[in-house]
This record gives sequence, structure tokens and C-alpha cells, in this order.
Amino acid sequence: MKQIGNLKYTSISTRISILLGLIILVTMGIFSAVSLMKQEEDSIDSVSRSALLLSQTTEKILRFSMLKNRRDEISMAIRDIVGEQGILSVRILNHKGVIKFSSRQSEVDEHISRANQLCANCHDKGDDGARYPASSFYRYHLDKSNDVIYSSLPIYNSPTCYNGDCHATAAQEASAGAGSLRTVLIAHSVHDSSQTILGFIEIEVSAKRIISNLDRSRTELIALTILIALMASTVMYFSIRHLVGKPVTKLVEGTKRVAQGDFSHEISAGRAELGTLAESFNHMQRQLLSTQSQLIESEKLASVGKLADEIANQINNPLTGIIVFAESLLKRPDSGGAEKSDYETILREALRIRESVRNVLSLSRSEKPNFIAVDVAGVIRHAISVLEKFSSFRNIQIITGMPKALPKISADPGLLEQVFLNLLLLSSENMPAGGILNITATLLEKEKQIEVRFADIGKGLPDNVLQALSDQNDKLESVERAGISLAVCRDIISLHRGKIIAASGTGAGTSITIKLPV
Amino acid sequence: MKRTAKILAIDGEDIVLKSISKALRSDGDTEYSVTTANTALEGLKLVRSNMFDLILLDLALPGMNGIEALRRIKSSYPLVSVVVMSGYSYERTFLNEAANNADGLLSKPFTTEEIKCLVSHILWGSERCT
Repeated sequence: MKQIGNLKYTSISTRISILLGLIILVTMGIFSAVSLMKQEEDSIDSVSRSALLLSQTTEKILRFSMLKNRRDEISMAIRDIVGEQGILSVRILNHKGVIKFSSRQSEVDEHISRANQLCANCHDKGDDGARYPASSFYRYHLDKSNDVIYSSLPIYNSPTCYNGDCHATAAQEASAGAGSLRTVLIAHSVHDSSQTILGFIEIEVSAKRIISNLDRSRTELIALTILIALMASTVMYFSIRHLVGKPVTKLVEGTKRVAQGDFSHEISAGRAELGTLAESFNHMQRQLLSTQSQLIESEKLASVGKLADEIANQINNPLTGIIVFAESLLKRPDSGGAEKSDYETILREALRIRESVRNVLSLSRSEKPNFIAVDVAGVIRHAISVLEKFSSFRNIQIITGMPKALPKISADPGLLEQVFLNLLLLSSENMPAGGILNITATLLEKEKQIEVRFADIGKGLPDNVLQALSDQNDKLESVERAGISLAVCRDIISLHRGKIIAASGTGAGTSITIKLPV
Repeated sequence: MKRTAKILAIDGEDIVLKSISKALRSDGDTEYSVTTANTALEGLKLVRSNMFDLILLDLALPGMNGIEALRRIKSSYPLVSVVVMSGYSYERTFLNEAANNADGLLSKPFTTEEIKCLVSHILWGSERCT
């Protein structure tokens, strides 16, 4: 047998089914008990009322016989009533508790004790005074041990009873004159006019049929309750298993797969609450996937940056020697024309290497991106303020169109600034004689993106650079400086889950559009 | 009258030390005396026993790094000028800290003109260098 402690391992469908079964059992049990009690009360009441009606009828039938003291008639009538409608016995008692007539001949003249229910109804305190007004007196009680209902109706005193000469008794009267005895019939009343109740008619009715009916009803109700509880539990069990258990199992499997690093598994679980949960889960998974790829990208960038740094340092130290020693050789008074030219070449090429290395270092970054809430327009303005001090920007007019209330985006401000610096430099290179650069930033509400556009009127980008950028491949770096610069922009923008598009034609200016998610 | 300056160069690479010595050779109006050290500890030892006017200190030194050496030099000899050299870009955070304590920054590789300009600017304020 399973321990209770194991309940936590029981499935949710089993637990809810058991709970529902128990709730139905308890609810229906209470309902059945109450309705059975009411039914029992009503049945006994109904039988008792029939017995009362019978008692009243009997009293009316026998009243005349009683007034006339026709005992045989009374006895016979009583015996005839017994057997009808479950009537077990009929008896007439006087108010002192003596059984005067009974269908059971043996109990005639017996004196019932005050403890008897019939007497106790009124005389339960042991005194002679009755507690209840005689006018409303009618009692019945159920003897559960014998399945019998006793119904008792009082026989009230009336003028016909205490005034009538019906109860004739034979008396002997001494003759005054002759001294002889003569028997005469004299009439005198048996009952005193002050008496309220003269006696009772008590009818004993069998309650066996009612009680067996009630027992059967009880058994049927219990069986029905158990059946309903079982059926409801079973239906609930399978419903929950189908509607909740299966989708939950799918979700659990999904979370396990995610835990194992598989983000590609999509869960379908309908459209209701669990469907929403599954959709949220899928959304979370997609986010995780994108964060993971973003992380991998940033790791890549960081490690590329570090590698570039290492290489640069390896080059920089010997390069210091080459530059300084070449300069030293050049200044030597004994270095002749041909030698001097060689030294100059060495120095020039060493300085070229230095420039290339510095370019690579400025384009690579070793720090991991730090994403914070960033105001794109602010970053653009800062980039402009930095580059405006350079002489190459003196002839370029920069026109900006950026609303103040642009929403902030999650980005690395340093990286983003590098993109804008690169684009600004690109424009200045495209317009060596000066020109106009239009910079706009707008919110695309439907797409939930911020669109930044750099449009100049310069000489335009070579086709191979444009083609390489739109192909999203890595050929860009091999093109030229503009290509390297755009490659860095492309990598940074894709790290921000954005897009970069360039449009250009020879002599028709360049327009570079960046879309960043809000 | 000739200007004189006692310089200490601390760098892990001999070629850099040689280049510094070469670049800071005495010329018409200036007489440099350059002492070199390969490690920070060696350099600190020299600092304790000599009076230098300026120290050229590399950040990426074997053993104790340049930042720590800079901190020690500046806490014991606050009047000595220190120029920090670096060939790395990822030392940007180090450079930020160095910029607060150092008197000048020099990125490698440098030309004779660049190092001379910086040193004379720091020592005599004669020329403007960036």
C-alpha cells in the first residue's frame, strides 16, 4: 500500500479526481441523510395521521356503544378493526391507565404504569397534574425496537357522558314498606362532569413497511452517491489527463530540452491558458536563442579584439625599434644618397605598418559589450561633436532631424558610437571637397524599430562594397577601408539585432540606413 | 648652457629600451642620461638609489605590472615625472587609471620626434605635444 508521503508523486489528474470524488461523496451524503430524515419524518407522520383518523372514526362508532355500555359490541368492533392497514392492536383505556378493552384479550384490566409513554406524555413529572391542555392532546410515538407506531387519541368528557343515563347499573334497594328487597334498575352517571379526559383509544400500527422502504431508499441513495462519485472522478481523471496532463507533459519535456541546451524545440498546447503558457515558453526560448547567439557574437568580437591586441603588441615593440633606428640611420651624416633613400623607405613602411595596426586596434574591441538603455540621438550628437573638430569636417554641413522623444533602446553606447563615427568618417571620405550630410532618426511604431539614416551627396560607394554588405558575407573586409569600416558597423548592428542597408550609386551619394529594435 | 635630464626607462623588451636610448641621445642643447631596467622591481631599486628627472614606464611588465609600479613610485617620490607607455588597446582601463597619476602617455610604436617632444614638454614645458 502506498504511503501518504507518496501523494506528492501522484499525478495532478489522480489527485483532483480523488478530491472531486470525495467532495461528491460528502455533499451527496449530507444531502441524502437530510432528505432521508425528512422522508422518515413525513412517512411516520402520514401513518400516524391515518391512525389518528382511524382512532377518531373508531371513537365515533363506539361512542354510542360506550354510552350504552355495550361491552360485547365494543370488543367485537375492536377485534374487527385489527388487521386492517397494518393495524396491530386497538385498546381503550380509562384515564387511570386501566385497559378496559383490547383486541388482545389477555391485557384487559391490566394497569399500565405511569412510565408508559401514553401516560408520560402528560404526567412525566410524576404528579397528577397534566402539563398539557387536554384540548390539544394528541400524541404518537415510534417504538424503534419493535418498528411500531403508537397513536393515542383522548376520549373527551361531554354532557352526554356525565348526564346520560346510559351507563345503567343494577342496584338493590330496600323496600321501605314490606321489608323485602327488590331489584330495580337505576340510572346514574359513571363519569364526573369535572373530568376532562375519560380515557384513550390507542392504536398500534406497524411501521415495518415504512422502515423497510426507508432502508431501501437509504441503500439506493448510498449506491447512487458512490456511483456518481466514481463516474465523475473517472470523467474528471481522463479530462484532466487530456486537457492538462498532456500539455503539461509537453511543457515539462520542453523545459528539459531547454535545460539540455536545445532551444529549437517549439511547444504547441492549444490556445487556452496552457496555450498561452506554451507560447510564452516558446517566446522565452526564442529570446534565449537570440541572447545566446548575441552572446556568442559578443564573445567572438571580444576574442577577436583580444587577439588583435596581442598581435598589435607583438608588432609594436619591434616596430618601435625599426622606426627609431631607421630615423637614427637617416640622421647619420655619413649616410649617402642611395642609403638614405633605403632608410627612408624603411621608415615610411614602418610608419605605414603603425597606421594599419592602429586602424585595426581602433576597429576591434576587446571589452565585452555592455548593454544599457541608450538614447540613440544622444549618441549620434556626441559622435558628431567629436568629429566636427577635425579639419576634414570643416567643409561638410551636417543637418540632423531627430525628435527629442525617441524611446531608448538596449545597446552598448560605445559600440553604437563606433558605428556612427565610422559612418561619419565614410561620408567625409566620400565628400573630400565638402558637401551636405543628412542624419535622421525616426521611430517606426509598427515595426517597433528606430531607423537611423546617413545620407550624403558624395561620390558614392563602389558596387563591390555595396554588394558585399547586402550579401551579409565576410568578403567585405578584403575590399578596402570603406569595406572594413562597414564590416565593423554590420557586425555591431547585428549584435544589436538590427539591420544595416546601404544604397549608393556612382556620383549619386550614399544613403546608409540602420534599423535597431526598440 | 645645456639642459640635462636623468631618465629611467623600464620595459620588458630590450629593443624598446635600446630605441629609447637611441631616440634620447644628447643633441645640441640637451644632454640625456638614460638608465634602463627590464622589470618593475629592478626599476624600483634604481629609483631608490638614484635621482631621476623622468621615468618612462611600460604598462605590460613581467611580474609586477606598470600600474602597481607607478603607484609605488608616485607614493614614494611624488616629484618624479612618469610617462606611461603602452602598446595594447585593451589596457584602456589601465590607461584611464594611469592618466590620473602619470605625467604623460606614450603609445608604442613612437617616433624619435614624438618621444623627444613629450619628454622635453614634461621636463621644461618647452613644446606642445599630443
